[in-house]
Amino acid sequence: MTDARLTRELERRSPGQWELYRKTADSRETAAAPELRRDAWRREEGWAARWWIGGAPRFAAASSGERLAASFDDAERVSVEPSAPPEWPARQTPALEAEPVAPPPELFEELSRAVAASSRGEASLSSLSLRSGVARERIVNAAGLDVSQDRRVLDGVASAVGRRGARAREARLPFRWTGEPETDALARRLADAATLPLSDRPTPFPSGQWLLDPAVGAAVLAAIAPLFSAERPPRWVLRGQLASPDLSVADDASADCFFDGEGVPVRRTLLVEEGVLVGRLHDLASAHRAGARSTGHGARPSFRLPPRVGPARLFFETKTPATPAALLSAVTRGLFASALIAPPRVDLAADRYELEFTGVSVVGGKAGGPVAGARSAGRLSDLLKRVRGISTDTQFFPSPYPVGSPTLLVERASFE
Amino acid sequence: MDWDETAIRRWLEPLATRRGEIAEVFAERLAELTLDWRDGAIREARVRAEEGVGARRRSDGAEHFVFVPGTAEADAREAVRALRAAAAAPPLPIRAPRAAPANADDAFPDAERWARRLTAVLARHAPRHSLTFRIRNAERRVVADGGRSAVSARRLLSLEGRFVAASKAGDEERVFAFHAPATDAASEELRTALARAAEPRERPVPVPSGETDVVLAGGSAAVFFHEALGHPLEADAGPSPLKNLPNARVAATALDVADDPRRLDLFGGYEFDDEGTAPRGARLVTSGLLGGPLSDRAHGASSGSSGHGRRAAASEPPSPRGSNIVVAEGGADADEMLRRLNNGLWIEDLSGGSVEIASGTFRLRFPRARRVRRGRFADELGGGVLAGEILPALGGIEPVFGREARPCRTFGWCARGGQVVPVGGAAPEVIVRRLSVRADA
Repeated sequence: MTDARLTRELERRSPGQWELYRKTADSRETAAAPELRRDAWRREEGWAARWWIGGAPRFAAASSGERLAASFDDAERVSVEPSAPPEWPARQTPALEAEPVAPPPELFEELSRAVAASSRGEASLSSLSLRSGVARERIVNAAGLDVSQDRRVLDGVASAVGRRGARAREARLPFRWTGEPETDALARRLADAATLPLSDRPTPFPSGQWLLDPAVGAAVLAAIAPLFSAERPPRWVLRGQLASPDLSVADDASADCFFDGEGVPVRRTLLVEEGVLVGRLHDLASAHRAGARSTGHGARPSFRLPPRVGPARLFFETKTPATPAALLSAVTRGLFASALIAPPRVDLAADRYELEFTGVSVVGGKAGGPVAGARSAGRLSDLLKRVRGISTDTQFFPSPYPVGSPTLLVERASFE
Repeated sequence: MDWDETAIRRWLEPLATRRGEIAEVFAERLAELTLDWRDGAIREARVRAEEGVGARRRSDGAEHFVFVPGTAEADAREAVRALRAAAAAPPLPIRAPRAAPANADDAFPDAERWARRLTAVLARHAPRHSLTFRIRNAERRVVADGGRSAVSARRLLSLEGRFVAASKAGDEERVFAFHAPATDAASEELRTALARAAEPRERPVPVPSGETDVVLAGGSAAVFFHEALGHPLEADAGPSPLKNLPNARVAATALDVADDPRRLDLFGGYEFDDEGTAPRGARLVTSGLLGGPLSDRAHGASSGSSGHGRRAAASEPPSPRGSNIVVAEGGADADEMLRRLNNGLWIEDLSGGSVEIASGTFRLRFPRARRVRRGRFADELGGGVLAGEILPALGGIEPVFGREARPCRTFGWCARGGQVVPVGGAAPEVIVRRLSVRADA
């Protein structure tokens, strides 16, 4: 079934209140491990439609236009509570030409050597899966929107096993590169995550300064990201200063794409400025409810789900950055959190967090011994307000949208 | 999926000519209805209808995999063409595709009935809620080398989310999860589970940190064995403390644990795995001796696949994965289990688990527990995390088990390496000694 027949059918069912999304993706993946090499080619297709019947929203997604059309009746089968449709955007961009996808680079040997060197032989790369691909999106709606864009991706997952005597530990890290492969940074994080927990050494301090690797900082930011799209944020967020005056948070995906999952142009949105909450992310629906305009944050992580308000490329920033070395030298006594050893636990409503990490102790600005595992728990509001140093080494991590953080220095953290 | 199987086998023939080589085509048609409920009303209805073909060739430590959307014979042909090109086999001649009939099946004839039934059940037991209900129909077909072929279908339902329950300390938000094959019996079972989850409780006190003995009740021991035995015994698992211990004594002789996909009454069951193999129950521990592994065709070695080759979707190649953990029952009633425990925690639900295979450490998260003192129930405790190491934990299992193996309906989906498959389990009450515990943040 063609786009035109689907749009006619949607207009028949829901005059003036529909949207049709189509995604085609072509990717090549190599997965290498000592005993197996896998090459995969995937040609994927996804269709999704939103429409309103009697003021109630409906959504269907399918792997072909025919199956999408056949799903319309199923989506209308049950009664749904009415909710007003959004104000649809209307603009047009030219159609795009298809481009072939090159296979991902061969990096297993290079990364193997880098992991071995970074861990002084204690860790070895156990698998590397690398995917390169291009996804083409097209969105049309009842208001005349017709936009298309391509998104290119180079991402993957790497695993390493650290061994010390009879003890072993595996680390698995997803990554996403926007430019050249950053194998050295990935190797260092893999080596740390696979070998530091083998030390068996608990935290030597019950409290102190806390240096967060960009990967750990990004995990914290991803965990608090729902605050930036909440219609009713928790009370502690609205009580004046949200974070340290040194810390700002912005979302800007304009380097990755032109428009969001609803066809609204993406733009930089400042969310926290010098510690004060100043902005909020909007998609079409939340903007309609709030009487505002969409900020271009109708996130569509998969064609299988309707767009929802959410970040596109979220990151910490500061007007007063310091070098990583300067942050390290500012630590008189504390821990460097190199990698998380469990997913972060955050309760936004209750203003609580819990992070379990592995790292090294730091005394007098110098790295001490490894710390196998430590836990820091407390109030999120305290954690954000106690950020005293922000570095220049911002790195982005998949979450699944890119989340960026530099090294952060937090004062007065408690450790178990 | 109107396929000429003989033709597809012929296309695959040059791709698997030697022993140990694998060539196959896998197709899946998936239809899923999701209803988001909030406070008595459906706020969103979503339908998902997907189909795709994954073709694979494995030979001499190298694997080629191709995925294309659609399940028409022409789609299977396109996937095999790409495989043959990668293997430098003679190309299939290009043939004009036959038009695939549009899918006009009535995928959810009972949707309205479920919506009415759930509206009534929620109004009675949990009127304030935010819950997601899902019915999923999956049809799968495999055609592989060696004349192997299979067609299977599964229909699963889930209800999960949060609701507000009245407790003696006022309103309390609780999590709820229920996963079961979509049968008529599931409706009554779901109603009972929700009513039980909404029962009034005492105000919970925080779980004290330290070492504790626990009774894993309500079938939740299946989650523990899934993490501590199932994952390490998947044939492609890396090094673990259970590696190279076949037939070693790891637990008391009374312990029998299997992974059995043939239990179709459990969420992880199936008649054929995703490589077309009829599964057999894999014994993970028999009379306290370690068994396994859970294998697929590529990892089956001399004993062949145990029928645990599973895929998260047609776009992914298969790998050995667990299905339903089944623990043999014993003869003890709940009072005897309490007496045996003496002091510790009684846990009915586990809301999640994980294992770090190389180090052999696991974690189990529970939303609440009852403290047991001197063989009697004491105060209500809040949520927490149990942790331990696999071999000491297996060694700490008491050789006495509850007399009924209950299905664990809170246990539904297992993610490994980003690949999510349905899993289930049934277990009696099991006592595990000397686990570490701490309160949830």
